[in-house]
Amino acid sequence: MNIRALVARPWIWGFAAAALVWLMILAISGQGGGQTVSLALSLAPYLVIVGLGQMLVVTAGPGNIDVSVAPIISLAGFVSVLAAFSTGSATVGVLAGVGAGLVIAAISTVAILGLSVPPIIATLAAGLIASSGTLSLANGFGAVPDPGLRSLLNLRPAGIPILAVAIVVVTVLVIALLRGTTYGRSLIAVGQNRRAAERAGIPVARIIAVTYLASGALAGLTGALLAAYIAPSADLGTRYLLDSVAVVVIGGTLISGGRAVPVGVWGAALFFILLDGLVNLVGWSSAAQNLLKGGLVLLVLFLAGGGDRVAGTSSRFRRRPRPAAATTTTTGENTHG
Amino acid sequence: MSETLGPALLPSRARMRRTAPAVVSAVAMIAMIAVCASLQPDVLSVSGLSLVLSATVPLVIAAQAQMTLMAVGDIDLGIGNFVGLVTVITATTLVTDPLLGGLILLGLVASYTVLGILIHLRKVPSLIATLGASFVWLGLGMFVLPTPGGTTPEWLAAFGMWQPAGFPAPLLPILLVAALVYLLSARSTLGVRMRALGSNPVALERAGLRPLASRAIAYTAAGGLGVLSGLVLASQTGGGDVSSASSYTLMTVAAVILGGGSFYGGSAVPWGVVIGGVTLGLVSVVLSLLDVPTNMQSAVQGVIVLAVLAGRVLVGKVLR
Repeated sequence: MNIRALVARPWIWGFAAAALVWLMILAISGQGGGQTVSLALSLAPYLVIVGLGQMLVVTAGPGNIDVSVAPIISLAGFVSVLAAFSTGSATVGVLAGVGAGLVIAAISTVAILGLSVPPIIATLAAGLIASSGTLSLANGFGAVPDPGLRSLLNLRPAGIPILAVAIVVVTVLVIALLRGTTYGRSLIAVGQNRRAAERAGIPVARIIAVTYLASGALAGLTGALLAAYIAPSADLGTRYLLDSVAVVVIGGTLISGGRAVPVGVWGAALFFILLDGLVNLVGWSSAAQNLLKGGLVLLVLFLAGGGDRVAGTSSRFRRRPRPAAATTTTTGENTHG
Repeated sequence: MSETLGPALLPSRARMRRTAPAVVSAVAMIAMIAVCASLQPDVLSVSGLSLVLSATVPLVIAAQAQMTLMAVGDIDLGIGNFVGLVTVITATTLVTDPLLGGLILLGLVASYTVLGILIHLRKVPSLIATLGASFVWLGLGMFVLPTPGGTTPEWLAAFGMWQPAGFPAPLLPILLVAALVYLLSARSTLGVRMRALGSNPVALERAGLRPLASRAIAYTAAGGLGVLSGLVLASQTGGGDVSSASSYTLMTVAAVILGGGSFYGGSAVPWGVVIGGVTLGLVSVVLSLLDVPTNMQSAVQGVIVLAVLAGRVLVGKVLR
């Protein structure tokens, strides 16, 4: 593969930025490059899980976004720790967290499909309901996270966290899901042109429902794991709303839908985590951390640009993102305009 | 979808369909005021209304900013932190050095313009660009004022305390800003260009007009309204806090949608936004009057948003 083809890969930017930040950390600290990577690999998976869910939602087409991931993560944290504490089984806890995510996602799904509420509002409302649940649970919360699950999440044989390996497997499964299953192909078709997908006989409503439920379940899983890794708290998920959307887009997934890049989520998540590490290393405040994160997101975004330069459509057709006109490797030839 | 053809003489079916969403929200708003009044009759007095409405003023103005961007088909996920940043500048630099503070606020408006131009030229989605910008606003705000505090300039504090005898003071900024946005977005050439960019960019370009200018104007207006919202918020809280308005980001979107706006651009609904924003703001007042536990307030808020939108769908079906 030559350089040109490599640069054209949408997922390359996240990894390139991550590598750059890693080199900066290496240059400043002068040691422990491997240790940095190992630490980043133990923190990134949480962002990757919720990012993969967000990616599926974004792929479903223009206007699709899940802003309920943050409250779901907080809620699932409490639910899973409580369930694990009262039953004594970490598995039940994780499943309860996933279940909590599914319940909230079901509310969004009903609102989106049944009431034709725009997804951003539907998930916002579902998220508000979730945060009420979180606050009710947080009052006088006495349960402690399962020590077994916590030590499993901290397990790092040969410097490679078990969780990272597990989430790599999950990522591969998602890739297989998108490429090889009817659901995956349908999702991409719906994202590229919903009306065409409808005419082609794809059950669009079912695809959209499954997508939001999957995102809710993955956010719930993130919350369950994160609560065991750190501790349940009401703002456990707060940062994951903006971060999950950012990693999806930096990773190369089209915000207008129709192209999913699961590998890119990893690159962008590593980039974000390493950036946090760099800022901590230099000793900057969280103010500088946000400035740097925002500045770099904008820089990467404006440098990489958007639109459709490759296909050479004339400029006046570019502005409105028509998913079908995107460069995609999944459905072969596109027509212009 | 768009109002570019001008007002019809009679309320046509299409016009009814267009205003129906705002009407449904207005019914919800009136219902909420009625509930307030039945629980606490003082709400209907001038001072009662001022008290109830004052909290909604900054939200409504920020929602007008969001509406301006949604009219060109964009969305702003950074408005909450931007308003927070403005309160921080207001509480610090604007007090110690009014000239520099004013310049910084103008600079913030200009940065919105630049953001809009870059979004247009680099053809990037506004959603993610404003998301990136929101981190920048948050960082800048934390940098200037790490912990909430500061004071407000005297003139602004006086405005916050202002209580005229005849009418509720918060109504003035709400209606004034709505009228201004109405004139800009629905009655001026600039407004037509902005809405044209939202509904049909190809037609705009074929007409020999530059989409870039339209987008830049929309972003400048949004930045200006954001600054205004921050000033009002600071006048009420009496200090600066960068995260004081973080909920605005999504609430403003909800207000625009409740007011009849659309994600696909092309429609400007300044009066609807007032209704939507006030409705959202009143929810928490009603809930506290009803003694709903604080824990459950956000859930009820979510349910009410869904209920109003469900009502809209119902009305839309009937009208069709």
